Amino acid sequence: MSRILLNRRAFLKATASVGAMLVLPDFALAQAAPPAKGGRLVVAADSEPANLNPAIVASNGVFFVASKVIEPLAEQSYDGKDGLSPRLALSWEGSDDGRTATFKLREGVTWHDGKPFTSADVAFSALEVWKKLQNLGRVVFKNLESVETPDDHTAIFKFSQPTPFQLIRNALPVVTSVVPKHIYEGTDIAKNPANQKLVGTGPFKFGEYKPGEYFLLKRNDAYWRQGEPLLDEIVYQVLPDRAAAGNALEAEQIQLAAFSAVPLADLDRISRVPGLKVYSNGYEGLTYQLIVEINHRRKELADIRVRQALAHAIDHDFVVRTIFLGYAKSSTGPVPAYDKTFYEPDVTKYAFDPAKAEALLDEAGYKRGADGNRFKLKLLPAPFFNETKQFGDYLRQALAKVGIDAQVISNDTPAHLKAVYTDHDFDITVATPVYRSDPAISTTILLESGLPAGVPFSNQYGYANADVDRLIKEAASTVDADKRASLYKTLQKTVADDLPLINVAEFSFITVARDNVQNVSDNPRWAVSSWANVGLKE
Amino acid sequence: MILWRQLNPEGRAGAVLLATLALMALLAPLIAPGDPLALAGEPMLRPFASASHPLGTDRLGRDVLSGLLYGTRTTLLVAFFSAAVSLSVGSAVGTLAGFLGGIADTVLMRITEAFQTVPGFLLALAAISVTGPSIPTMIFAISLGTWTQAARVTRAEVLSLRERDFVAAARTLGMRPLEIAFREILPNAFGPTASLAAISVAAAILIEAALSFLGFGDPNRVTWGSMIAEGRTVLRAAPYLSIVPGLALVVTVLSVHLLGRGLSKTERLQP
Repeated sequence: MSRILLNRRAFLKATASVGAMLVLPDFALAQAAPPAKGGRLVVAADSEPANLNPAIVASNGVFFVASKVIEPLAEQSYDGKDGLSPRLALSWEGSDDGRTATFKLREGVTWHDGKPFTSADVAFSALEVWKKLQNLGRVVFKNLESVETPDDHTAIFKFSQPTPFQLIRNALPVVTSVVPKHIYEGTDIAKNPANQKLVGTGPFKFGEYKPGEYFLLKRNDAYWRQGEPLLDEIVYQVLPDRAAAGNALEAEQIQLAAFSAVPLADLDRISRVPGLKVYSNGYEGLTYQLIVEINHRRKELADIRVRQALAHAIDHDFVVRTIFLGYAKSSTGPVPAYDKTFYEPDVTKYAFDPAKAEALLDEAGYKRGADGNRFKLKLLPAPFFNETKQFGDYLRQALAKVGIDAQVISNDTPAHLKAVYTDHDFDITVATPVYRSDPAISTTILLESGLPAGVPFSNQYGYANADVDRLIKEAASTVDADKRASLYKTLQKTVADDLPLINVAEFSFITVARDNVQNVSDNPRWAVSSWANVGLKE
Repeated sequence: MILWRQLNPEGRAGAVLLATLALMALLAPLIAPGDPLALAGEPMLRPFASASHPLGTDRLGRDVLSGLLYGTRTTLLVAFFSAAVSLSVGSAVGTLAGFLGGIADTVLMRITEAFQTVPGFLLALAAISVTGPSIPTMIFAISLGTWTQAARVTRAEVLSLRERDFVAAARTLGMRPLEIAFREILPNAFGPTASLAAISVAAAILIEAALSFLGFGDPNRVTWGSMIAEGRTVLRAAPYLSIVPGLALVVTVLSVHLLGRGLSKTERLQP
C-alpha cells in the first residue's frame, strides 16, 4: 500500500490548529471565508516521466508536475481575451504580414536560483529548445528565424515565412515553457540535469523526487504574484494502480486525483461519499479524441464505401453512454465542437445504421461468405486508456454485426506505437489523438501525406488526398484569422466526405478532490496549470 | 469403474466436479448460444435480475454466464494440454537422465536446474510476450516452467528402478538401452509422476488465469482471468463481475486437487 506522508511538523501543526479552534471558536469562524494559506496538498500521480522538462516534452504527463515550476508566456483562461491570461508575457501582438510577433514580458520575475528573468531567456528557449527539441514546437516554430531582444523585457520573434499569429497565440500555453538560459547555455540541453531537477519561475520550486514514491514541490517565496502561492507544498504520490486512487481519496491519504485517476465506473459511488467533490470541467483545453485509424494500404479499406460502412456500423450513442458513462461527446470530425473558432458543424454525418453499412459493403463487392464474414481485419486498440480497450472490444462486436471479422491484437505501448506508426502492421486501430486549441498543432498531421515513417500520432495510414494537402498547406501560411478558420472549416467538410479516419467521440477527464481544496478547475487546462491560487481550507 | 471403486470420497468428489466442468465446457454452445463476447444486453445487470442473463452482464453488456462457460473451455484446454506436455517432456528427460547417468545425466539435470531457478510464471510471461497470445503459445509458455518437477521425480524413480532384476533381465534378453528405458522403466516410474499431474494442472490453471489477468491472454477469447481483470475496475460497484469467475477458478483448482489426492492414495499408482 502507499505510504502516508505525514511528518512530525505537519502533525504538530494540525493538532495545534485544533487546539486553537477549541480555545478561540469565534476567531476561527470569522476567518473561514478567504482562501487559507499554507498546508500540503497530496495529489495522485500515475506516471513518472523520465524527462520532466516541459520545454522539451510538451505532454500532459510532464505538465502535470512541471507546470507548477516552469511557466509559459500565457495560460488558457475561461474569460480572458482570446481565451488567454498573461503569465510571463504581459501582452502579445502579431504583425499583419505574419513575419513578426512581439511579446512584452513581465518585470521583476526571478528564477528559483535568484537570477533575473529576461528576454534573453525567452530568445534562448525559443531558438534552442522549442524550435529544435520540442515535439510540438518543431511544428509551430518551424519558420522561426531569430528572436530580437531590444531590451530586457521585449522579445520580437522573426519568421522566415508568414506564420499565422492565431496559431502562435493558441499554442502559447502548450509550447512556450521558458527555461533559464544561464543553466542550459553551452550544455547538451537534452541531457542537462536540470531536466530532472527543474529550475523555473513558477509558484513552486522543485523539491525532491523519489522514484516510485513521490515528487515534492515547495513554495516559492519570491513568486511574482503577491500573496501566492497559497500552498506550502505539493506532493505527487505515485499510485500506478487506478483502483487505489479512489480508496486513497476516501481514506484521506490524498486530497486530489486528476486525469480520471478514479475510474469512470467508480465515479457514481465516489460522488456520493461525503467530503469528496467531482469536477468534470477544467480539461477543455486538453480534449482527447477517440478515433478509428484506417490503413488505406488494405485494398478493402481504400474503398470509400467500406470506410463509410465502418462509420455507419459504430453507435456513437453506445460509446458515449456505456463506455464513457456520459463523460464524453459524440464527434463529427477532427475539430471538437467546443472550439468555436474552428469547428464546422455542417458536415456529412454517418448515423448508426448497420443495414446501410451492409448495403454499402455489398455494393463495394464484399458479400458475406459461407461463414457469414466478408473479410478479416486486424484491430489494434491503443493500450493508453481503459476506454480505448473497451472500445476495441465494442468495435469488434459492432463490425461482426455487419459481417466484418475483426481480430483484436493487444500490445503494450511501445509495441503498439511501433506496429502502427513505424511498421504499418495494422488494418484498423483505436487511437486517442489530442486536440490542442488549434488544428495546426497536432491535428492536421493526422491528415497530411508525405510524412516519414516512425512519427507517432501522424498520418502513417497511407492516406493521400491532394485537396486535403493543399488546404493544410494554404492554412499554414494564411495570416488572416478568419480566412484561416474558413480554410479549416472547408478541410473538415472534405475530411467528413472522404473519411481518412473515423472520429467517434471527444472526451476529457474528471478531477476528484476533497471539498476543502479550493479553486479547482478554474481554467481550461487546470490540471496542467500553475496552481498558484489553489488553497486548503482548514 | 475399478478406479472409481478404489477412489476415496474426496477423490470421487473431485472427479464429479471435474466431470461437471468438462460437461459445461462441451455443452457451452448449447447452454449459451452465440459469441460469448457479443454485447448481449443492458450493461451492468446484476445476477439473478434477468431471466435471459442469469448471472448478469458486464460493463459492455456481455453475458457473464456465457463468458463463464466459454472460459471453462479455454481454462481446461490450456490446463490439461500444458500438464500433458510438461509431464511427457519432464518424464522423458527424467528417464534419459536417470537411465543414462554420467555426462548425459549431469547435462540434463543442469538444464533442468537452470529452468527451476527462474519462477515458472516469469518464464511463461517472457515466452508469451515474445510469441504473442494464442492457445498453443499459452500451452507452450506454461509447460516451459512446469516440466522440471516431473523430470526430477521421474529421474529419482528411474535411478532406483534401473538396478532392479527385471532391468538386468531385459538387458540379457538383448533389448536396446533406449527400449529398456522407455518400455520397461518409464511405465514403472510413471506412478509418482502421474500423481504430480494434479499439481501441474492446478498450477497451469492459475498461471493461465494470471497471464490473462495481466492482459497477456488472447483478447479474442473469454478467459476467467480476463473476466476478473475487467471486473476489477468496477470492483466496488459490481463485485460479482470478479467474484463469479473467481469462484469458478476456486472450484476448478479444488476439484483437480481433490481428484489428485484421491488418485495418489489408490494402490494402483503406488510405487
